[in-house]
Amino acid sequence: MAGPSYHMRINKAADRFSLIEIIKRLPKLKNNLDEYTYYGFGGPFLEDMRLIYEFYPEIRMISFEEIRKVFLRQKFHIPCGPEQLTLENCNVTNFIDNLESTDEKSIFWLDYTDLDLICFTDFEKLLNKLSQGSVIKITIRADPRDYWIIPKNIENRRQKSRMIENFRRIFGEYLPRPSAVPSWKSEDFAYLLQEMMQIVVQNSLSADITNLTFYPISSFYYSDSTWMFSITGIIWPRTDFEAVEDAFKDWEFKNLVWNRPIHIDIPNLSTKERLHLQKHLPRERPRGPVLRAEMGHLIDEDIIRTEYALEQYAAFHRYFPYFLRGIP
Amino acid sequence: MKETTPIDEKQINAAPLKSFFVSMLTRDIDLEDSILDLLDNCVDGILRSRPDEGNQPYYGYKAEIRLEKDLFLISDNCGGIPWNLHKYAFRMGRDPERQSDAPGLVGYYGIGMKRAIFKMGRNCSISTKNINHQYQVEITQDWLQDEYTWDLPVKNINWKGKDGTIIKITNLYSNISKQFEENSKKFTANLERIISTHYAIIIEKGFEIKINNQIVVPRTTKLVFDSHQLEQTGIRPFIFKTITSDNVDVFLAVGFWRPPPSENEINEEKESTKYSSMDAGWTIVCNDRVVVFCDRSELTGWGEAGVPRFHNQFIAISGVVEFRSKDPGKLPTKTTKRGLDSSAPIYLQVKNKMREGMKIFTDYTNKWKGREDESKKQISKGENLPLREIRQKSEKLSMNTTSRTVIPGEQYRPNLPKPELPESTARRISFVKENIKIKKVAAYFGDSSLDPSDVGEKCFDLVYQEAK
Ligand SMILES: Nc1ncnc2c1ncn2[C@@H]1O[C@H](COP(=O)(O)OP(=O)(O)O)[C@@H](O)[C@H]1O
Ligand SMILES: [Mg+2]
Repeated sequence: MAGPSYHMRINKAADRFSLIEIIKRLPKLKNNLDEYTYYGFGGPFLEDMRLIYEFYPEIRMISFEEIRKVFLRQKFHIPCGPEQLTLENCNVTNFIDNLESTDEKSIFWLDYTDLDLICFTDFEKLLNKLSQGSVIKITIRADPRDYWIIPKNIENRRQKSRMIENFRRIFGEYLPRPSAVPSWKSEDFAYLLQEMMQIVVQNSLSADITNLTFYPISSFYYSDSTWMFSITGIIWPRTDFEAVEDAFKDWEFKNLVWNRPIHIDIPNLSTKERLHLQKHLPRERPRGPVLRAEMGHLIDEDIIRTEYALEQYAAFHRYFPYFLRGIP
Repeated sequence: MKETTPIDEKQINAAPLKSFFVSMLTRDIDLEDSILDLLDNCVDGILRSRPDEGNQPYYGYKAEIRLEKDLFLISDNCGGIPWNLHKYAFRMGRDPERQSDAPGLVGYYGIGMKRAIFKMGRNCSISTKNINHQYQVEITQDWLQDEYTWDLPVKNINWKGKDGTIIKITNLYSNISKQFEENSKKFTANLERIISTHYAIIIEKGFEIKINNQIVVPRTTKLVFDSHQLEQTGIRPFIFKTITSDNVDVFLAVGFWRPPPSENEINEEKESTKYSSMDAGWTIVCNDRVVVFCDRSELTGWGEAGVPRFHNQFIAISGVVEFRSKDPGKLPTKTTKRGLDSSAPIYLQVKNKMREGMKIFTDYTNKWKGREDESKKQISKGENLPLREIRQKSEKLSMNTTSRTVIPGEQYRPNLPKPELPESTARRISFVKENIKIKKVAAYFGDSSLDPSDVGEKCFDLVYQEAK
């Protein structure tokens, strides 16, 4: 896997933590957490399993991992006993295909590393099988650089139009506009992918055939060297939006109506810096200028960037993972 | 025996029921198609007010569609509905008295507008201005429920701006409202896709269509045309053109829009389940309206009379036929619905040419199979041209005229490059091996990223050296 090592992906860690925050609010929708099963791609260290077990030990967990080597490594990292967590050595698409529709509630995290048609079709199938109250989080690669080269010469230009043609050919059926192209701006690209997810939802849970829909709860884009897009939502009766609104109204990062995704861009601060800032949090926006004054030095190129970075830190500081030297 | 009661009446009522009309009319048409009917009316309006043919006859004309929770609105500046048509325009069906008002119109059966309205909602106003009349006709829920009144109220209005029409439908049926609200992303994406293909030519000729403020970008087929040394071999489309005895103008071109895919590409495509071959297949156009888009079935000659069935290896082949006539009755279109009349004699005649042309390119694809690198090179010598430019280029080609064939006309048969090896002395070898093993052998040859087919070929060459 390219990019920084798993542990160092701080923005992804915040995204992961946002799921914990969402789960926390599920009981407000009259869901008991012990009714849920969590399904995820734990990765070699079973990071999300560890976190869920820490916060919600009553949630049963199932991890699927296709690669045998990683699967064996997971066995080594298992954070709890087998009654609580089952490790499956299988491919997620097959898993979804073989999944029986049930009334049991699920929390699924489809945590892909790439951007493929399969991400959309897996999501589409899953929407059709899960019950009311189930949560799906889907994370996909959203890197504009995959589709963007500066067209300096004819060869470049040809290559670029091939890439775009390829994108349209692969994703054509989910594009909100047939003429849509991946933007070179990560925010716009992430929003395009979100619109595509919305079309998946409208296909799978079409208003003319069911009263269930998928209400988004949060949507983020971020880069820990590669741009990713991550959306989480709940399967819920279309006619009962108020309940969802009510359950999440107090959460700062909610996105319940398919608004543009929120940027997670946590600055890299030392533990010392963070402990210092912590004393002044939480507080009302805007927090950047105040924190900059408290800090006394710049943490980025200039004042504007420093304040943006500190604003980001203030927003996500509770989701910030600690990397400490400890006893293994 | 009981005594019978004599009847007093001399006549009984056999009048059609309005509700029957309304429900029958709307049942067998898709919402998207009925919206296209409204766009067809805009185009008819343009032709009526400006019948001259230029390169961009629709330039300056536009239609805007708005879809909301309880509103469908289409407004245009296409000349309006002439007051002298009011006797026909608002009736269901065509009055036999009615004369054709302008050449080339598609509207004929007198139902498109009404059907679209009844399909969507219970209230509607049609406001229009044509030259010196500006008026509004209203359809209400009460009118729809009243089985006896067939008259509609009409009144004078004040119209601002260019001559045109606004149709506003409200009190939408809930299934329609759902499409415009809860399913709106999916519905507008699909509507835009349909319009961008079906109206591609009209949009290219200057018509502007907006859906919820978003301009629709046309999607047309562009075929590879190698303009170098026209008398030599090169990748060019097969072209056929004629004017039939009925005065229908026919122009056909079929060729490649991209290089044929390599075996690996085809296999990759197979894996993704819902792969769509995009621009592959036949598009059929009648008076600038696309009636069939990228068809890959028997309808357009695939899998018939020696032409192979469509298969992913043929995704590079694409063709277009344009029919044009001042009398729309001569075109191979269905009567009341959009679509091709595949049994119309003129279509069956042209279909021969479609198959003839298509066969050239399926043959080429088969002959160069396994050597897609070379065919890629040949194709990159040409450029992708829209049909309009292919038409212009065809003037410079030496066309072959036939007058005693099924369909007389002129045609250009491209001379496509042929592989050097005579086919009969070479055979194809293919086999399947495990990925890791292929990688291993590839690494043995010094490059673990080698294409599996190259690995196979290298193995063969190696052993052949020994065996020789
Ligand atoms: N937006 C418009 N602009 C100009 N003419 C229109 C418009 N809408 C409808 N008409 C005219 O009103 C008449 C009735 O339309 P329609 O019900 O679609 O029947 P048809 O087009 O088959 O005659 C037609 O003559 C049509 O051209
Ligand atoms: Mg019409």
